[in-house]
Amino acid sequence: MRGITKQFPGVVANDGVDFEAAPGEVHALLGENGAGKSTLSNILTGLYRPDAGEISLHGERVEFHSPRDALDAGVSMVHQHFRLVERFSVAENVILGDHRREGRAFRLRRRATERRVGELGERYRVAVDPRANVWQLSVGEQQRVEILKALYLDARILILDEPTAVLTPQEAEVLFGTLRELAADGRTIVFISHKLHEVKAVSDRVTVLRAGRTVATVDAAESTPRSLAELMVGRGLGEGVQAEPREPGEAVLALEDVWADGDRGGAAVRGVSLQVRAGEIVAMAGVAGNGQRELAETIAGIRPATKGTVHVAGKTPRSGDPRAAITAGVAYVPEDRLGTGLAPSVSIASNLALKSYRKPPASSGPLLRLGRIREHAVELIKRYRIAAPGPQAPVRLLSGGNLQKVVLAREFSGGPKVLVAASPTRGLDVGAIESVHTYLHEAAANGVGVLLLSEDLDEILTLADRIAVVYEGRIVGETPRAQANVEEIGLQMAGGEDPRRN
Amino acid sequence: MVAVPAASLVFAFFASGLVLLATGHNALSSYRRLFDAAFLNHGALGDTLVSATPLAFTGLAAAAAFRMRLFNIGGEGQLYIGAITAAAAGLYFGGSGGPSAFAIAAMVAAGCAGGAAWALIPGILRAFFRTNEIIVSLMLNYVAGYLLTYLIFNSQSYFRQTTGFNASVFPTSKELPSSAVWPAATVHVHGGVALPLGAGLAVLAAVLLWVLYARTRFGFEATVLGDSPRAARYAGMRTRRKIVAVMAISGAIAGLGGASQDGDFRHTLDADPNGLQRQFYGYSGIVVAALARYNPLAVLLVAFLIGGLQNAGNSLQGPDFPAGLVGVMQGIILFSALGGELLVRYRVRVRRRDRAGAAPAPEAT
Amino acid sequence: MNNSLLVVLVANGIGFGTPLLYASLGELLAERSGVLNLGVEGMMLIGAVTGFWTVERFHASTGAALAAAVGVAALAGAATSLIHAFLVITLRASQIVSGLALTIFAGAAGLSSYFGNDFNLGENPARHTFHTVFPASWQRWPIVGPIVFGHNVLVYVSWALVVLVSLYLTRTRLGLNLRAVGDAPAAADAMGINVAAYRYAHVLVGGALAGVAGATFTLAITPQWVDGITGGAGWIAIALVIFAFWRPELCLVGAYFFGALQDLAPELQARGIHLGPTALWTNTLPYLMTIVVLVLVSASSTRRWLGAPAALGTPYVREER
Repeated sequence: MRGITKQFPGVVANDGVDFEAAPGEVHALLGENGAGKSTLSNILTGLYRPDAGEISLHGERVEFHSPRDALDAGVSMVHQHFRLVERFSVAENVILGDHRREGRAFRLRRRATERRVGELGERYRVAVDPRANVWQLSVGEQQRVEILKALYLDARILILDEPTAVLTPQEAEVLFGTLRELAADGRTIVFISHKLHEVKAVSDRVTVLRAGRTVATVDAAESTPRSLAELMVGRGLGEGVQAEPREPGEAVLALEDVWADGDRGGAAVRGVSLQVRAGEIVAMAGVAGNGQRELAETIAGIRPATKGTVHVAGKTPRSGDPRAAITAGVAYVPEDRLGTGLAPSVSIASNLALKSYRKPPASSGPLLRLGRIREHAVELIKRYRIAAPGPQAPVRLLSGGNLQKVVLAREFSGGPKVLVAASPTRGLDVGAIESVHTYLHEAAANGVGVLLLSEDLDEILTLADRIAVVYEGRIVGETPRAQANVEEIGLQMAGGEDPRRN
Repeated sequence: MVAVPAASLVFAFFASGLVLLATGHNALSSYRRLFDAAFLNHGALGDTLVSATPLAFTGLAAAAAFRMRLFNIGGEGQLYIGAITAAAAGLYFGGSGGPSAFAIAAMVAAGCAGGAAWALIPGILRAFFRTNEIIVSLMLNYVAGYLLTYLIFNSQSYFRQTTGFNASVFPTSKELPSSAVWPAATVHVHGGVALPLGAGLAVLAAVLLWVLYARTRFGFEATVLGDSPRAARYAGMRTRRKIVAVMAISGAIAGLGGASQDGDFRHTLDADPNGLQRQFYGYSGIVVAALARYNPLAVLLVAFLIGGLQNAGNSLQGPDFPAGLVGVMQGIILFSALGGELLVRYRVRVRRRDRAGAAPAPEAT
Repeated sequence: MNNSLLVVLVANGIGFGTPLLYASLGELLAERSGVLNLGVEGMMLIGAVTGFWTVERFHASTGAALAAAVGVAALAGAATSLIHAFLVITLRASQIVSGLALTIFAGAAGLSSYFGNDFNLGENPARHTFHTVFPASWQRWPIVGPIVFGHNVLVYVSWALVVLVSLYLTRTRLGLNLRAVGDAPAAADAMGINVAAYRYAHVLVGGALAGVAGATFTLAITPQWVDGITGGAGWIAIALVIFAFWRPELCLVGAYFFGALQDLAPELQARGIHLGPTALWTNTLPYLMTIVVLVLVSASSTRRWLGAPAALGTPYVREER
């Protein structure tokens, strides 16, 4: 890819980017969130058209007008958010679409497809039951389906976007093995990531993007995580956010044998008992889909507990009643910012008042005091440095980092006793991540008990005082930070089974 | 804000003109006659108010619900039921003499109550059983219509006139006693225009509705709930109660429209299948609400305009004036309003890119 | 025995239910692609009036005239649905409001009424109508006679259609793609499927079938044009799709059930069985039953709504190209 430029109104996502990769190589595309990696890969897979620049495959110039062109040319991508039809079986997902390989075959040949899927799975260590329905699979298995889709089409260029975000360390190693096999086959693997150790572990060469431009292309073997990080961020790195040691106080959140059901019936949270003390940051490590979201919702009152109790600062708010939890002092920063934590078309000011509007000064009696709400919003915008057109603008205009600031500003300003934060830094760039970490430390320093749910082990190891591992709705291990061991935590996240042994 | 609805109207006239031309009618003269019949002819303004008043009520009813993404299509039926209950109150409490505040108040209350009750059926079903309110409220329109007709045409109900020559020949409904007839104020413009009490009540309802949505906690919650039910639940709002309450309010306003039909205009319960039930006030109200972008105050203005259209359609109807033109135009108006809406949204999307610092991530819109 | 209540109800249920079947199959296809089309009532009326008009104006043999009429009705229905498709797929407008606008535009006191009036269609009964296909002797066979052999060609075609649609959805690649478009348009798009094209195609087909459904009224059931002749059938068809779990076979069952309901009160009356205010019952029963069925279906479990195409009602936006 040469001179690729892609512009969106107000943002130059890619500015004259050059990128090339050879057959049989695993080439990493490194950069922080917002550097332009996703845009570049979307162009390569036909989802976007570049404003300038050209793409050549095997020396020949190509132009992609749609994803189908890219697929036909042998370019496949495994997205970070899977593009799977949950209701379908694995086999059905794999053969979806009109491909030149199948011709325009009219009838579905179920058995033949299933057989082929099985073969491919065996060969490349990405085995899944072709007849299983996707919604029944674990996240790691779903990722394998995505890879199988690409293999079924005999993709010569395979792009993976942040594939290890949803895997345990051991599963990641299995994936690396698969990638190396695929490369050995003569395919080209493009590995997009912002995780430095992995990039070094699996790739041959690394191209670093920063602010939409190519900064450098280096050999992985000759780089260190630090050198890569500096290329990525463009400045000398600090030591990360340092926290002052804190003395934890009384338990502000106590979970006693809490059970809760998931969305599809069946228990998602199975007997969790945990304590979080004031001024403490407790992190729950675990792969997505093991009950973390359901647990967070139960604490916040959005989901009723079927058994057990949740105690907040000595009180027991009624289960399944969000208002009771809020009154008891629970603040919840949900993973789904724009879908749950905020009302997208409603103004920033109203969103900031979303939990405080019932009481003075935001309202007196049944009437709202719009002036006060506005003032409060202006104040919060200033204090948290939220980049916004104004307090009356609809909140969906904001970027991801600013959205999260709105949510955090609102939750903190309520004077909570417990803060539950679910994947708070997902999709944010380094600057925003640092801000969030700072706020979390501040909250803890102010005596709030913080429960952090995250898939990012690095983040957990930076922030947490204590680490609990959740697997299949249960807590399978709890250690103070000082004694934490990544290898062991990884094993616990996978339920004690080492996937490398297969 | 105004540009889009205004442009939609212009486009709609243009498009309807094409339809007229295509079927061999002179578009310009049809429009000229339409406009005259709506506003300029002698007595036209008054007649337009007659058409606009129920549209204001049903428009407000639709706006109240649609703003919260509750698609209450049942305004038609709620209006009929309100008419029935208000007529009952009027017949019962009314007597001889001039308009009685008590009888009229009773009619207002009964109309609201009837409409609210009818709307509570889809409301409660939606809130507690997750049943689709669109289909339920719509089915109930047909039920209400048949019920209304039945009360006069197929039964010996309270509403039916049993004495008198006319009554023995053809089913008639009782006349409202004179103290239950709603008064009208006379405005001295254009040769004197009668301003019905219902119109005044509609204005009052619009103001109250506006205050409710813009300035109260109730309205705040309704806005958030309409935008994102998940965020509303997250914030601890009582979703189900809100749904029921808003449906009841919506139905009450429509029912009040029915009461106004009895008290202001027909002075009886109009059960004739070719009378009230052919006016489709309820459905037109939806058009009014959509064009007014669900703003209660704008509904009043739009109701007036559409009322003019409806009035003209009624008075001109005949073999040489295309029937169904009103529905066609309303449909086109709504289409253009929808299309225009997107332009506004598109502009907003473009602005968003300006603000976004990071590269846009795939996000469900 | 062929005059027993049950046989008559089933036989007439099939006859009355046929427009419901056509319309619900059409709506099923549209909804499977993720587009909710509430304008079915309007499209049916357009089909009814244009079909009737064709039969009056097209001077040919009965067979040809009727075939042309059905064709015109289908085209008219599709053309009407094109408006909705454009607004909803390309402009991404609210599917609910657009569908309502379509019904107001095309329905009773709308375009269909306009045509009916302008062309004076209400004066005479249809010049050609659909008759039963099989010989009268066959129709006299016990039970099977009236139920299976007593219908016109539109009914038999609808049976074939149910089979076709069912096979299409489950056994063909196009059907698989369609289901993906309705369930996870992002996934379908990433696999190279043209989401907009599938949606347009199926909305138009839905419109065509609704048009045919309307023509069934004016050419077979009550061979006459009356303003608003469908009387809410379009809405019942929409409810039917939900009731049928979005499956064609169940659409057939549901359509005939509601068809039989429509005939229930008149049949009881003809047999001298009274149910109180008969006139009221006669008219309102189908609507009340729709509500009851809908409540039962929605309340039973969330699983029922899991049967719905997951992306139903939401416009699909792919980020800019």
